[in-house]
Amino acid sequence: MTAIVDTSRQTTSTEQPAPGLGAALRAEWLKLTTVRSTWWTLVALVVIGAGLTTLLGALNAEWLASPQADEDPAAFITWGMMLAPAAAVVLGALVVTAEYGSGTIRSSFAAVPSRGRVMLAKSILVAGLLFVAGTATALLGYAGTNPFFEAQGIGLPLEGDVLRAMYGSGLYLAGLGVLAVAVGFLVRHTAAAVSILLGTLFVVGPMVLLVPGTFGEWLEKLMPHNTGGGVAAAVSFNPNLLDPWTGYAVFLAQVAAVVAVAAWSLRRRDA
Amino acid sequence: MIHAHQLTKRFGGATAVDAIDFTVEPGRVTGFLGPNGAGKSTTMRMILGLDAPTAGRVTVNGRAHGTSGAPLREIGALLEAGAVHPGRSARGHLRWMAASNAIPAARVDEVLDLVGLTEVADRRVGKFSLGMGQRLGIAAALLGDPGVVVLDEPVNGLDPEGIRWVRGLARRLADEGRTVFVSSHLMSEMALMADHLIVIGRGQILADTSMADFMRHHAASHVLVRSPQATQVADLLRQHGVEVTVQPDDSGALHVHAGDPAAVGELLGAAGLTLHELSLVRSSLEDAFMTLTADAVEYHATEGVAA
Repeated sequence: MTAIVDTSRQTTSTEQPAPGLGAALRAEWLKLTTVRSTWWTLVALVVIGAGLTTLLGALNAEWLASPQADEDPAAFITWGMMLAPAAAVVLGALVVTAEYGSGTIRSSFAAVPSRGRVMLAKSILVAGLLFVAGTATALLGYAGTNPFFEAQGIGLPLEGDVLRAMYGSGLYLAGLGVLAVAVGFLVRHTAAAVSILLGTLFVVGPMVLLVPGTFGEWLEKLMPHNTGGGVAAAVSFNPNLLDPWTGYAVFLAQVAAVVAVAAWSLRRRDA
Repeated sequence: MIHAHQLTKRFGGATAVDAIDFTVEPGRVTGFLGPNGAGKSTTMRMILGLDAPTAGRVTVNGRAHGTSGAPLREIGALLEAGAVHPGRSARGHLRWMAASNAIPAARVDEVLDLVGLTEVADRRVGKFSLGMGQRLGIAAALLGDPGVVVLDEPVNGLDPEGIRWVRGLARRLADEGRTVFVSSHLMSEMALMADHLIVIGRGQILADTSMADFMRHHAASHVLVRSPQATQVADLLRQHGVEVTVQPDDSGALHVHAGDPAAVGELLGAAGLTLHELSLVRSSLEDAFMTLTADAVEYHATEGVAA
């Protein structure tokens, strides 16, 4: 039988400095990489983000090169990024709601009593992971699509707005991940969090098109899928958008507002 | 050492924990006993800083939880079995916990070995039995080698061998000078495990006493007498100042409120009375606990119809 106690313990244990953000980040990274859902959502992200882009590019290359084309080939180069956010928000929400669902959250807060630090560590890792995965997925989609375009003589060099759309895809998904973490802490339930996020992005977003007038136009511009999604497209299908970086700044402000509410509520509510 | 002062928790209008004071001392196993819904788990969650008290406070080694050092090295807790992501392995769960408090990864293998989960360490926790889940929870509680260990209903779901193991573990932890706080709704379990007992019912402390004292005071015994001359027996005993009650069933047996069956037998023998039975009946601790908490149980089941 192993001794339970390490005899050097008692007096020194309480004198040790509190583990900081680094320890919390290591713990959250281990959590993230030891469940399958992380890998499945990343696979879904690549399949949707790069796979659909390549498919749509291949199918439309000939038409895009023809005189009848009324869309810019550059709009197609990150086509999948219109749907890939679904995978990103599922990943971000699960990082939080899977803990509430299983009760792990109580272990998390017993181990790291600063709830803000737990939320920060999760947000940093989800943002980092999705930035890398999003950019890589966009590049993969570009690499898959551009040969079809080149074959039709409409190839796009990886520069300017096309290049910006690559890391812009990473930036957009990173922001969505942080938003999803915050919503996860607010509602604490996987189905609820995912429904709210997908509903906002894909249902409410398109529905505001029905609101008439200038007010409707602005409402459309300010929906998160439009504010944040602009940087992920070299040329947008939607002409009624804010400038990409202006839009992204507005998107970050929207995310920050939700994060602030979530952090405030997390501090106040019982775990 | 855990110290609660006027600790109170209200959920909406309902008071779960009602201004309780208690101290859990190191070096002994303190049982936290109460019926379901008495406030045990809420109290334990407040100790760990998961629920904020409505009023009052609770400290671990003189400080609120998490206000100094690495929390897992200060206090380890088993709060609920299976509070682990079902897709993660036992080792994966312990590894992130260790990392969060800068505990060396080697300690993970130590505690896995300690609770007997080494062989299944890489299996997904979702496939674990309730008992294996409890063992993992206990491994997590011991991970930081803490001076204070809190176990909420640790024997739930364990087989008899596992229950004995938990009992022995609690004992060893206390013998090493740690503060051990174990909750249960089973008096019989507490009787075997705890040195000190805190009984809670409807959010209030009903008893805070050593196990030995609790037994002396609450587990009253009586002498059961069966005799064809029950009336004479009862009269004689009452003349000697001994309280006698007739058992409420039809058997005619007498409850003699005396602790010494020999004295009762000699008295009745000297008077030439015939006895069919003379025995000492110890009321169980379970009975004592039921009596103590009878008014504090939230949900009563009515026993029998003609009661």
